[in-house]
Amino acid sequence: MVKALVVTGFGINCEEEMAAAYQLLGAEATILHLNELFQERDSIHNYDILNFPGGFSFGDDIGSAKVLANKFKFKKMHSGKLFIDEISKFLKDGKYIIGVCNGFQALVKMGLLPNIGGNYEQEVTLTNNASGKFEDRWVHCSITPDNPTPFLSDKSITGMDLPVRHGEGKLIIRDDEIRSAILEKKLNVLTYTDKEGNSTVDYPANPNGSELNCAGLCDISGQVFGLMPHPEAYLSLYNHPDWAGKKRTNPNISEDGEGMMIFRNIISKIESKN
Amino acid sequence: MEKAAKAGLLKSSTDNGAGGLSSSIGELAEITGGAVVELGNAPLKYHGLQPWEIFVSESQERMSFVVEPDKKDALFDMARDFEVEVTDIGYFTNSGYLDIRYKEERAAYLDLDFMHNAVPKKYMEAEWKTPELQEPGIVDADNNDILLQLMGSLNICSKDPVIRVYDHEVKGKTIIKPLMGENGNAPQDAGVIRINHKDFTGVAVSNGIIPRYGDIDAYEMSAGSFDEAIRQIIAVGGKLPNPNEKDGIFWTVNDNFCVPDSLYDENKNPDGKYKLAQLVKMNEALYDMATYFNIPLTSGKDSMKNDFKKGNVKISVPPTILYSMAAKIDDVRKTITSDFKEAGDVIYQVGKTYNELGGSECYALFDVLGANVPKVRKDDAKRIYDKMAKANEQKLIASAHDISDGGLAVALAESAFGGNKGCSLSISETEIGVLAELFAESHSRFVVSVPEGKAKDFEKLFDKDCKKLGFVNNEDNMTIIIEGEEVINSKIRDLFEAWGKGLRK
Repeated sequence: MVKALVVTGFGINCEEEMAAAYQLLGAEATILHLNELFQERDSIHNYDILNFPGGFSFGDDIGSAKVLANKFKFKKMHSGKLFIDEISKFLKDGKYIIGVCNGFQALVKMGLLPNIGGNYEQEVTLTNNASGKFEDRWVHCSITPDNPTPFLSDKSITGMDLPVRHGEGKLIIRDDEIRSAILEKKLNVLTYTDKEGNSTVDYPANPNGSELNCAGLCDISGQVFGLMPHPEAYLSLYNHPDWAGKKRTNPNISEDGEGMMIFRNIISKIESKN
Repeated sequence: MEKAAKAGLLKSSTDNGAGGLSSSIGELAEITGGAVVELGNAPLKYHGLQPWEIFVSESQERMSFVVEPDKKDALFDMARDFEVEVTDIGYFTNSGYLDIRYKEERAAYLDLDFMHNAVPKKYMEAEWKTPELQEPGIVDADNNDILLQLMGSLNICSKDPVIRVYDHEVKGKTIIKPLMGENGNAPQDAGVIRINHKDFTGVAVSNGIIPRYGDIDAYEMSAGSFDEAIRQIIAVGGKLPNPNEKDGIFWTVNDNFCVPDSLYDENKNPDGKYKLAQLVKMNEALYDMATYFNIPLTSGKDSMKNDFKKGNVKISVPPTILYSMAAKIDDVRKTITSDFKEAGDVIYQVGKTYNELGGSECYALFDVLGANVPKVRKDDAKRIYDKMAKANEQKLIASAHDISDGGLAVALAESAFGGNKGCSLSISETEIGVLAELFAESHSRFVVSVPEGKAKDFEKLFDKDCKKLGFVNNEDNMTIIIEGEEVINSKIRDLFEAWGKGLRK
């Protein structure tokens, strides 16, 4: 049985749907307040995959997920162990981490993504949308072929519609060196596209103006995956803004949402290893 | 709080709104007959607050909990885990007094009965005088121009700029959203949210508000707003509650009053009696509608002194009531969206249009009020709403959009926005004239599109309650012919542009 841990607390608010994704696919999902981990009443090592959901942790004060990233990076737990060391061990054990929206921002600001240098230095950031506003809309993302992450391993799927809801989703890359490495290693695994499937910087297809029109990143190992769009909010056909049109065109259409694919992939991967 | 409540740690709780602790504790104390409050324990943001200030402060994000003594430790432990500040500020008694202390001193000592029951009853006079109003004679109107202006008017235009800066997708349960369709351009009539991720039970949420009508008749304004809230839920596939059937379909409504001061004063409020009469009529309509449709009011809010005064100028708000309604939806997969789906679908108007342009958005363009305000015809409404639910059960409906601000023409345009569709329509004869057919805001009506193969069943079900208008097509055009004359011929693209720019002017 695949065990997913979904963290919550401090203003994170997408934990319920994140857990539902795993439960609907027959895996076990546990929602824990971060303090339960920091108090060491449970441990991330008891799980196969660690989920950082979306939300408004710490009210986005001093920057979305800045405080959360600092907590993850510098927190000394009850016994004196550093939480970041547990994360390192978790990844060394071959386990997986996914961060959505606020979770992605945390992974980026604590240096876990893209982590090309391998020492948790911040190499990119996610900042204010080019429009200067919070954006709640649906986008289309293409999946980079031959990418290294098992979260997107289903080769039969080349793209998907997804909802975005964020104020600070614009990806900025620290320097040319990092950019080249990202492109070379295909770490920019999700890209905002227009209706024809071409990568675009045009608003609103690209809702935030991210460099490389990038919607999601993974690290070199592929174990850590972060994205601004919310796959956990598209678990059902009926989440899609045109579900009624789709159903009229194809009455036998599947009732699964395209977002399920990401969770299905990682559960398969974990099951195949166990 | 959710976790604490599930663990049985909270006996009762109430929020701190108007009046702060004085309200929340004052009200809770009625249950046991008294309380002791130690204001010195209340955590403060800064020093120097007087005891009375602490007691009536309306600082936000505070709740008052009632906790049994043996649950206190568990609650405080849980709060510590969540880093939520919880403070013991007193206990309930049956002394008959609200005993407020500040450290060693007694700050207040109030007889509870006096506090709650001793307010003298105010007796106010209401006097209704029917305003003398006339219907204007509007001739030689350019209907296409009226429609274009209506699409861009503030009450009708797209609220996209507001909708997109708030998260309406969180929790992943939103099934009918404010804007849907292929391009996220189709405005919907009510929100529908799933209860959980496992089954498909849901709740529809709607809002009815039409302040303009109050200048003509406050009763019809209130009844009309109530009808608007109902028909929005019917439009997405809801079904009226039936106390005789154990189908578990419950509805509920909250009222929100925003009215000017209605206490008569010769100098300061010379039309106070009329304003109070308007308020009385609003409530009469509320009673009539709620009891007729079996939709109980479970809560509400009132704001009763909305006047601006500066020097000799006094501006009073128009008496306004907002009805926010919620209804259980058995299966959210069977809800309906408002956008036209496919060329060839047949378009109907459900419900009847009357010569009721009074208070309309159309008349507002000409700066006139009119006199014939739309009236709610409850029996007709109920019959129509029952038929809509039946039609949905029989899967006859491709799209449904309630007709409101701007009338039929606006509803048709909005239905075309979603899927890059157009429509061509014709009304063979009219007793009410072109302007009313296009722009009157008569209640309890819908624009419904039906797949051609289901048209016969639809017409049989609705009989005289539907009127076939025409067809959905793939043109970038809306044409309407009335009594053989083309009265509307507009490009959907132009209408959409005007609609989209409304708030950005």
